[in-house]
Amino acid sequence: MWKFNKSGPLFFAFIITTFFASAQHCQWKVSGVVKDESTGQPMEFANVYLREMQTGDITDSLGHFSISSVCSGNYHLSVSHIGCEPIEIFLPVSGDTTITVRLDHHSQLLNEVTITREAGKTTTQENQSLSTQRITEQADKNLGNLLENISGVSTIRHGSGISKPVVHGLYGNRLTILNNGIAQSGQQWGTDHAPEIDPLSANRITVVKGAGVLEYPGNSLGSVILIEPGKIPRDPHLHGNARYFYESNGRGNGINLKLQQHAKLLAWRITGTLKKSGDKRTPDYFLRNTGNEEAHLAVQLEKPIRDNWSADLYFSTFNARFGVLRGSHTGNLTDLEEALQREIPFYTEDHFSYSIDAPHQQVNHHLLKAHTQYRITDQQWIDLTYAGQYNRRKEFDVRRNNRSEFPALSLEQFTHFAEGRYENNFAANWKLKTGFQFQQTQNTNIPETGILPLIPDYISTEYGAFLTLTKSVHRATFEFGGRYDIEDRRVAAISTTIPRKVIRYHKQYQTGGALAGASYAIVKNWELTYNIGLAARNPEVNELYSNGLHQGVSGIEEGDPELDSEFSVKQTLSLKGNISEKLLIQALVYHQQIADYIYLQPQDEIRLTIRGAFPVFRYEQTDARITGMDLSANWQISPRFSINAMYSYLHGHDRENDIPLVYMPANNLFVALNYQLPKFGKFQNVEIQLNNRYVFKQNNLLPEQDFLTPPEGYHLAGLKLSAERQWSKFRLQLFTRAANLFNIRYRDYLNRQRYFADEPGINIISGINLSF
Amino acid sequence: MAGDEIEQLNATVLQQIPNFAAHTLKNLHMRQLHHLLPLALVFLISISSCKKDEQLDPVIPNEEEVITTLIYTLTPEGGGETVVFSFSDSDGDGGAAPEISADTLHANTTYTGSLQLLNETQNPADDITGEIAAEGESHQFFFENTIAGLQITYADSDASGNPIGLVTTVETSDATSGTLTITLRHELNKLAGGVADGNMANAGGETDIEVTFDVEVQ
Repeated sequence: MWKFNKSGPLFFAFIITTFFASAQHCQWKVSGVVKDESTGQPMEFANVYLREMQTGDITDSLGHFSISSVCSGNYHLSVSHIGCEPIEIFLPVSGDTTITVRLDHHSQLLNEVTITREAGKTTTQENQSLSTQRITEQADKNLGNLLENISGVSTIRHGSGISKPVVHGLYGNRLTILNNGIAQSGQQWGTDHAPEIDPLSANRITVVKGAGVLEYPGNSLGSVILIEPGKIPRDPHLHGNARYFYESNGRGNGINLKLQQHAKLLAWRITGTLKKSGDKRTPDYFLRNTGNEEAHLAVQLEKPIRDNWSADLYFSTFNARFGVLRGSHTGNLTDLEEALQREIPFYTEDHFSYSIDAPHQQVNHHLLKAHTQYRITDQQWIDLTYAGQYNRRKEFDVRRNNRSEFPALSLEQFTHFAEGRYENNFAANWKLKTGFQFQQTQNTNIPETGILPLIPDYISTEYGAFLTLTKSVHRATFEFGGRYDIEDRRVAAISTTIPRKVIRYHKQYQTGGALAGASYAIVKNWELTYNIGLAARNPEVNELYSNGLHQGVSGIEEGDPELDSEFSVKQTLSLKGNISEKLLIQALVYHQQIADYIYLQPQDEIRLTIRGAFPVFRYEQTDARITGMDLSANWQISPRFSINAMYSYLHGHDRENDIPLVYMPANNLFVALNYQLPKFGKFQNVEIQLNNRYVFKQNNLLPEQDFLTPPEGYHLAGLKLSAERQWSKFRLQLFTRAANLFNIRYRDYLNRQRYFADEPGINIISGINLSF
Repeated sequence: MAGDEIEQLNATVLQQIPNFAAHTLKNLHMRQLHHLLPLALVFLISISSCKKDEQLDPVIPNEEEVITTLIYTLTPEGGGETVVFSFSDSDGDGGAAPEISADTLHANTTYTGSLQLLNETQNPADDITGEIAAEGESHQFFFENTIAGLQITYADSDASGNPIGLVTTVETSDATSGTLTITLRHELNKLAGGVADGNMANAGGETDIEVTFDVEVQ
């Protein structure tokens, strides 16, 4: 009896609510306005959809939308627009509800054109981003190739599967890549070592084309790439998305699954990716042994411990096998010269294959990051971070007597990073950031190779501290700061003389960095920014101690243990803005001088070995200058038509020897024509894009600086179709892309395999993204 | 006078520091500190634990694949003095220059040539010749020379009946001089045109050995 009494009122209440709900005839109205996050302007033709009601609206010219007859309850409102990051908002409705939705428009082009800026802009440095939508449409690409969508970014490639981003002419150790705020630590010294990051784990990828990096340790001489998974949205329900793509060239397949939930106890997100592709094909032949296999996973946990205290944990694992073109593996200079003469590389087969044999690379990278933030007040907080990284790299060569199954290079690297950081928004629009960092890297050669290691074992211990101040006055932002680092490096190398013995080195480096920047809104919608930064980079172990034959380029590379740190002064000047919201322009010019720039200099010596004679290259230092310009523009001709254009110019000069710098990206021009339809039958946000990239010939190079003159310039046309539709509870995003549309033969200066083979021919990629 | 004032000021500042610290700590409630302390501890442990392992002990690899030495021994048919050509680079690709020696050949003589490959980074030296013979189908030596009248023909074969070149027949004619280049290719195309006859042009593959001798025929 008492049981009935207790549940009675509840039961009754349930009946009442149901009764009332039906009695209301679901009379509430959900309405609002959609605005451009950066400009604050209302957005027309945005698709608004109330998922549980399976109904929606398109915004009018004032950005207004309205959905009527909504019952009380919890809803998910999804808002999308062409060229925008679609967003989904958890919306409890218990009466007429009005909301303002801000969409991140033109994020790729004009990321922070916050002319009517809110207080607290954190940096004056230029940055450009790729949104989730853009990442999804190019799910087949690796990180380097994906970033080529941003002006001023190129890639150094080793075939089509392995690529490294190059920003303003600098790459590898001179460019810091932050994976969820942690500087990627791996074997970045190798031009054929791609960054071990799955771009599909990110919901935004940003390139900061800066003059200096103060907040992070490492060796960046200006620019940074940020891979950000983003915070888990505050939605109590389980959401996620599944992506699949197929590419015709290489018969590649890829799936990616993301699940996330902001549960009461714990917010979590899990992302997994599987990719496999086989031999790529040029217009004329298959590129044997150019397939790859990848499996990645990322787990993100966020826990609000109390109102002012939160903790989060991030784990990611990257596992890949990359095939290297069989015909690019040569024995000595005679072989290389023979390979250069050939139309079609040696070992080319007339059939497709998924198999990956020697030479190939096997890479594993794991990252664990623990972070906690404690808010002392709303204006000041403390962050503590620990990150551990484990990098494992094995490179397999064609070897005698079944030794191909043993790696020719086998390296293991542990990195521990710890940071304490304090931020304070004190006084009116003053922002202070300061922190202390510790990083230890231990690099070990695994002796399974039976080959003298290319780079030695070492332990590097770094301590760094930084302080930055940002001040916003109503039309201007000023930024300045400094950083100081100490590095202690112990190295144990193996002699190249007989008998082999261990040679130990102990070095200490002290370096400083500084940055000053100002951005100023000259008139409404136009902003001018200037930055000057000083930065230093310690010589990397390969530059100091490498000693041996570099098979890929048929040369003997010698390090110099006496090299000093590089020191850079970089200035950037940028202008961005728009003309009546129709024509958006961003222009950036930069000038960088690097004292003691380290590079590989061919020597007069030809060294005789049992494998034949090899040219000798030695790491030397010079004074370098890199100047360049990035231009981006977007012209909305009509609501349907728009044009995007990007142009990058770069000139590298060796001031000491008055010759060009090698491996500098060629100038390039990208133009895209877009046709957009907010609605087409059951499809929304339909977009057709025709684009063309023209890469100029690298003329700034002397014939004696390379085995071959740089390849001719080339036009690469592309086509893209994309559309979205709602399908019951799911949102579907479909795309088809054609790359190298006219199947042209070409070679690229920054591809190390240009000596041996053409670039891939036409590739048609189709994909689907299902969000729920 | 001025000194006194500065001293006083210093004293005031020094008094202020503990006050400031106490004030800051008071603002951070003890309860919050209880939560922060374990975290700070974990943080410190993680820093110190990774400092312990500071030994650097590289293992010198067992370079069993390296070929440092090639010895081409020519034995005259019907007896006589053997002729030896040798190329030795005992430190591998390292900086020390290789040692090259070549005895003089007799004119109008037929020799049986046999090749021996050694790895002298090992002690005692490893004989690699057997390894090449065992993988005969993917290896072949080539003998290119600029010596008028010198004929070098293969006298061995792999499992498929194609030449390897570990054993050769060498015929000299008149007294002259020139160079002989011995090349070892692996993963080559033995069936390509001319390869079985010792012509390298279409062979492809990767070069393992390429050594040149100055040869006198007397």
